[in-house]
Amino acid sequence: MKLLSRPDELRQAFGPPAIFAILLGLIAVAVPEFLGGGGPAIIAQQATPILLVALGQCVVLCIGSIDLSNAAIALFASILAALTLGPLGAAAPVFCLIVVTLIGVANGLVLVYTQIPSFALTLGTLGVMQAASLVVTGSNVVYVMDNMDVVGWLFTVQFLTLPVAFWIAVVLAAALWAFLRFTVPGQGVMAIGFNERAAGLSGQPVNALKVLAFGLSGFFAGLAGLCVISISGAASSIGLGSDLLVPSIAAALVGGTAITGGVCNPLNVVFGAMFVALIPVGSAAVGVNPQAQSIVYGVVLIVAVAATMSRARHGIVK
Amino acid sequence: MIQTGIPLQAPLCPDARQDRPAPILRLSGLAKSFGPVAAVKPLTLTVGRHEVIGLIGENGAGKSTLLKLLTGVHQPDAGTFELNGRQVRLKGPQDATEHGLGIVHQEQSLFTNLSVAENIVMGAGRKGSASTRGGLYRWRALHREAAEVLARIGSTVSPATIVGDLGFAERQMVEIARTIHVACRTAERQGGAPLVILDEPTSVLEEAETAVLEHEIARLRAIGSVIFVSHRLEEVLRICTRIVVMRHGELVADRPVEGVTEADLFRMMIGKDRHARTREAVPPMTAAPVLRAEGLTRTGAFRDIRLDLHPGRITAIVGTFGAGREALVRALFGAEPLDGGRLEVAGRAVAQWSPRLAIRAGLAYLPAERGVESAVGGLSAARNLTMVPQDRGWLLSPAGRRALAEEWFSRLDIRPNLPGQDLARFSGGNQQKVVLAKWLRLKPRVLILDHPLRGLDPGAGATVNACIRAAAAEGAGVLLLADTLEEALDLGHEILVMRDGEISARFDRTTDDPTTLDLLEKMV
Repeated sequence: MKLLSRPDELRQAFGPPAIFAILLGLIAVAVPEFLGGGGPAIIAQQATPILLVALGQCVVLCIGSIDLSNAAIALFASILAALTLGPLGAAAPVFCLIVVTLIGVANGLVLVYTQIPSFALTLGTLGVMQAASLVVTGSNVVYVMDNMDVVGWLFTVQFLTLPVAFWIAVVLAAALWAFLRFTVPGQGVMAIGFNERAAGLSGQPVNALKVLAFGLSGFFAGLAGLCVISISGAASSIGLGSDLLVPSIAAALVGGTAITGGVCNPLNVVFGAMFVALIPVGSAAVGVNPQAQSIVYGVVLIVAVAATMSRARHGIVK
Repeated sequence: MIQTGIPLQAPLCPDARQDRPAPILRLSGLAKSFGPVAAVKPLTLTVGRHEVIGLIGENGAGKSTLLKLLTGVHQPDAGTFELNGRQVRLKGPQDATEHGLGIVHQEQSLFTNLSVAENIVMGAGRKGSASTRGGLYRWRALHREAAEVLARIGSTVSPATIVGDLGFAERQMVEIARTIHVACRTAERQGGAPLVILDEPTSVLEEAETAVLEHEIARLRAIGSVIFVSHRLEEVLRICTRIVVMRHGELVADRPVEGVTEADLFRMMIGKDRHARTREAVPPMTAAPVLRAEGLTRTGAFRDIRLDLHPGRITAIVGTFGAGREALVRALFGAEPLDGGRLEVAGRAVAQWSPRLAIRAGLAYLPAERGVESAVGGLSAARNLTMVPQDRGWLLSPAGRRALAEEWFSRLDIRPNLPGQDLARFSGGNQQKVVLAKWLRLKPRVLILDHPLRGLDPGAGATVNACIRAAAAEGAGVLLLADTLEEALDLGHEILVMRDGEISARFDRTTDDPTTLDLLEKMV
């Protein structure tokens, strides 16, 4: 195929699925019972919040920025859901999603109107959201008392042996992929990532698209927060979901997203997220000391990103 | 300016073997393919000493690939490559420089926040320079070293100046000095002479600056040899001693410059004759102006500009670099702010202005700096072509895009005919055509063109010029900042001269017939 004639394009298109398949293959050989048992369902469950946060992240990366706050926003959303599910019932998830989307939009607006670099800005938001989580919970665990069934089905109902929440996330990834490829704003987002000035001089609404990217990041983080609540039935500032930041960025990068902007394939981020979720299982399977697991995690990530990331653009990496 | 008046010294790199020096460069059977495309077919070329070789060819003829082979960016598939009698295998531009072969690009690669001296010595590479010790600068030695190099190429720039404060031509001198600095030392050590490649050095220079460069080339020739790449044929004839022409990856001509005319060069490059164009009648000012500016002012850039663009007419603005015409056209498009004055588009006064609003009002702007401001590398050519958002809903139509790309690729003869390919992989001229097509397809009311022919070969230039005329004929008011005065005279129905931010003269071609001299007189 002419379009895929260069190694870099091949790597972008098929690197993430390939590297996921390799890791899965290794685990299947080392621990044959993993695939037959509940392994895939557990991996899918762990991958889902990571994937959702990573989908938001990859849009932000696509415009050449980064959102360090979205994992904290996800945690905040889970706390908010835990607090509001009782009184609001079915309206609680909607309420949570609106709030965190607005937080993302606020990120974007501040970025656009103050021109603070996204790294610094979202680092600040990260701190704010973490503190907000602590304050709102009073440093306690918040349990969902009523209406757990509003979000519970996400991980109890299964389709093709995997939780339905995972499939929803995959469908959203596909929708995001289609958005970037087949819509005017999506093309604008990619154009900004490649060449912001040219995009602006071609009439792209650069500021609006940046706000949109951060808004999407907040929205997807909110979905991740709902997943956390669905899985654990409780939320706290140090509980499940408090360590999504690094895995989600890793998932976006292993999924082939370029940190320099413009290059982003949400479908491959699905494989990135599953890969990231598999690493702990893999390292445990080959008998790595649990205390040393982070070493394996780090090394495997570096290798995976090297194998999948696009470096076609003049070899410049920031 | 401490070097003023230093005489040209003995050649920097004395010939070790005076009797019969080896040629500086000898290529035999050098070839390079990318997949199925033979970018450079086996070619043989020898460059002796004290030559100025004009390398010309259309965009996509293989010049760039040849230059990349010469500087080690690409590795040849076949053939041998000798520099000063030694066979070499270069690893990259820095390595090439250390072998005595330097290249100066059109896009400058200087550190604008550092001084001239630092920039020059920075290129010294691993072999280092006498001006650093243990990783620290010895400032006095550094300035002395830089001053020596600058003096040898006859530059009067002070080594302590910050590069960002220099004009474009002076920066080019600094870049040449940096290249020469290392290339000469190596060549000297090996008993050879340096070879400097100037890749389209004049395409961004104004006429006065070009004269400085020509002087420079003469000095370089006393030291070693120069390969001069340019699309300006009359310059090639004036400056060079030998002409090398590439076409479709082959070397189709290699001959001394004597007796060659511009028409010959054109024929050798394109393979067919240039059509002589007779001036057509200047269209009359029929309708009301599509764009009218009154008293436009921006502090420090331009003031009190009065300007009327009429449908069907091409208005060219000429002026030296810094006369403010770039800032003016950018302000007209909303890309830069205005401090005062009145702007009307199609009879409607403009209050708020931005590129988005300007585009909606029917303006189009082709920026001069293609790589930074107009071409979105990474996206396909077809997507670039359809980049400007229109009020037709949110969905893109891949089929519509394909059809549109097909139409414009054939209309502007954009090569290769692969609309789905990343725009960054097209040659400069073809990128420019894509960007131009992006605007033309919108049928703009006002078409603002900032150096549309920059970096284009004559063939591509002719296509673009034809497009500009066609757009005007279809009723657009065209505002053109041309590369050369000849181009402005050739295309413009009205010519405005800008000097120090003001319009110093207006020539309407229905009544006036100015010469380049008339224009120059009003420019300076």
